[in-house]
Amino acid sequence: MKGAFTYLLLPAIWSSRNRAARRQPGDLTRAFVFAAMGIGVFAALFFAASWVTWQLNGYEELGDYLLRLGLSWIFMTFLAFLTFSGIVTALSTFFLSDDLRLLLTAPIAARRLFYARFARTVAQSSWMVIVFIAPVLLGVGVVRCAPATFYITSALTILPFAIIPVAVGTASTLLLVNVFPARRARELLMLMGFLFVGSVVILLRMLRPEQLMRAESLPDLTGFFSTLQSPVTPLLPSFWAGELVFASLKGGWDLMHAGAIWSTALVCCVGLRVADERWHFSGYSRSQEAPKARFAHFRGIDLIARILPLSPVRKHLLIKDVKIFLRDVSQWSQLLLLLALVLIYLYNFRVLDLGRIPYMSGFIKNIYALVNLGMAGFVLATVAVRFVFPMVSAEGRAFWLIRNSPVEMHDFLWSKFWTGLIPVLLLTETLTVAANELLDVDPFLKSVAAVAILFLSFALVGLATGIGARYPRFTADNPSEVSGSYGGVAFMVVAVLLVVAIIALVGWPSMTYLYYQLRHRPIPAFRLALMGACYVAAMVLMVATWLHGMRSGIRALDAMSN
Amino acid sequence: MIAVEHLVKQYGRFTAVDDVSLDVQPGEIHGFLGPNGAGKTTTLRMIAGLLKPTSGRVVVDGHDVALEPELAKSSLGFIPDRPFIYEKLTAGEFLRFHAGLYGLDGDGVLDRVHEMLDLFELRRWEHELVESFSHGMKQRLVMCAAFLHRPRAVAVDEPMVGLDPRGARLIKDVFRRMSDRGVAILMSTHTLEVAHEMCHRLSIILKGKIIAQGTVDEIRRLAGGADDHLTSVFLRLTGGSALQELDEAV
Repeated sequence: MKGAFTYLLLPAIWSSRNRAARRQPGDLTRAFVFAAMGIGVFAALFFAASWVTWQLNGYEELGDYLLRLGLSWIFMTFLAFLTFSGIVTALSTFFLSDDLRLLLTAPIAARRLFYARFARTVAQSSWMVIVFIAPVLLGVGVVRCAPATFYITSALTILPFAIIPVAVGTASTLLLVNVFPARRARELLMLMGFLFVGSVVILLRMLRPEQLMRAESLPDLTGFFSTLQSPVTPLLPSFWAGELVFASLKGGWDLMHAGAIWSTALVCCVGLRVADERWHFSGYSRSQEAPKARFAHFRGIDLIARILPLSPVRKHLLIKDVKIFLRDVSQWSQLLLLLALVLIYLYNFRVLDLGRIPYMSGFIKNIYALVNLGMAGFVLATVAVRFVFPMVSAEGRAFWLIRNSPVEMHDFLWSKFWTGLIPVLLLTETLTVAANELLDVDPFLKSVAAVAILFLSFALVGLATGIGARYPRFTADNPSEVSGSYGGVAFMVVAVLLVVAIIALVGWPSMTYLYYQLRHRPIPAFRLALMGACYVAAMVLMVATWLHGMRSGIRALDAMSN
Repeated sequence: MIAVEHLVKQYGRFTAVDDVSLDVQPGEIHGFLGPNGAGKTTTLRMIAGLLKPTSGRVVVDGHDVALEPELAKSSLGFIPDRPFIYEKLTAGEFLRFHAGLYGLDGDGVLDRVHEMLDLFELRRWEHELVESFSHGMKQRLVMCAAFLHRPRAVAVDEPMVGLDPRGARLIKDVFRRMSDRGVAILMSTHTLEVAHEMCHRLSIILKGKIIAQGTVDEIRRLAGGADDHLTSVFLRLTGGSALQELDEAV
């Protein structure tokens, strides 16, 4: 055991065991919330796959063909994901991981270290794919009453299918790290990754896949199928995996593709090991080098801060936060992805063809205004948990500087609040107003939505700042770790409940208004009073959440200082 | 036991370590002194096999670190300035894992782990998670790990930083005892008193180059002041850049 590469995986196993044995407050809640979410996603995928397979059952040979094609498509999507994930994960497991400083000084054979690291890379890169693909294959298998060999073959296919792209990704990292310093390569990769995801999503939207569902937009059936299958796919492991799984679904064996996928995986492992033995140490050694960093000075931020009516303390906190954020590529590159999603969101409203149901279009448009408010609320909660919630934790090990200086925690936290609020408010207001304009919503509802999102931004940013201060993680390596902590999950639960409550409180009076508006009847005074009460209640709830969140955060920071 | 021959490390056009040669005999405590950024840590990291030299070679117990890394590392214990310890392991688990990395197996491992924990006064913390340890305790745990496999040579980077007087005395005693048993110790330090008190020989590095080498007396003579305190000698040899470092040390 001590000579096997698996011995090097022991610290991770022991650490998990110790973590489970010594639970911290909130661990159980977090586990429960994540388990519920996981089960929900698993069930949704299972039922979706079952439903689609069930529908295809009615088309006999065409159904079989589409299922076969669908399996190849699923594997092809994951192939691209696994390759990119392999590149990013290998950078951390092979070059930047802290424990390498310990392992590389020990007399461990390079081959043994390689296998341990590669096993970790494959596991870390592919667990999400397995979580997604398992319920899909299970759903297909159950509906098709597949034999036991289908499930065994599926399990035996996923392993080499994951190994091949991750090995390709790891080899790319090995090459990259020997050309660029590892820390710069990571920033480069992150930026590339976000641009890649953003452009894929935009491309898919521009293709308007919903048109495939319209019979009149298809020239003929052959043309339709030819768009789905390209000549290069039979050379890809995704095609072999799809064929293998499909053959076992029909109760047969596809030894040719089984041989292709397993032998390729094996060749990839051996080839990568040889390359690793040759170039890993030189790449690792380069990753230890710290060349003088190139960075932007952002003097404009100093100028803007100078003209803002802020106290010197808040001014300097603002300058520091904005500069640190903009100099961290891994942070602001996520904004690019967010921007892509916002563009798609607005584009959806533009292509929404409500004219097809003329007598309903007015009503539906206005209902969409409320749906839009809800969506903007959830986008707001997601942005807040990712960017605003970790702001206090982001002070990290330098927080002593704030605590030891004559800065009041009140000033410190309010500075964080305003820094977070402005961009979030700009984003959500633009989103709501632009979407309602594109839909040509009733002017009254436009105003309601704009005011509601203004108050909701204050409430959720205040709540995120406050809970972020109550449950800080100063030792976290990155903001995503902070967002996924107990405090982050607690914030999301409260934020979602608040958004639902606000939709109810704003939605009912707005619907009532629409009801009377469409019938051109005046609203009775009692109803009007009730509507007003609902709007006021929504405002009070949001203001209370905002102020209570901030106060509890300040109290927590004061208690920490004392 | 540790032989460094014409070692060079370049980062682009900057030479961090420039033709450094030194050797540490069995049983010798060799002090490696120099101001901040002089190249001490880079040299030690190359000896430990964490950095690839641009040229030159390092031999530990007769094994070239580049050609026979496993054999060389088996004979070496390395104590870095910023050590890594798995925070979610207990002290006992960490040491047992470390023993496994060096191929130690069987019933004797647990006895050896206890022996080391006793030596560094950490036995009562054996079953506690490392994350709850103070800086000094972590430092002592890393030293337990470094001496666990009975290395014939030890490279240690700033061993006294962050230790209380009792901890510092303990470490000095352990180093002396190991040296008496024939272990070669190469120790980088800022604390000139420690170097004066413990080291048989010294190497002083400045801007990547060794500028003086020998016993304390030999270095005093080299600097031209036979009765001077080591601090004055160090200042004279390293020039004004050392003043800042001394300030920090004080």
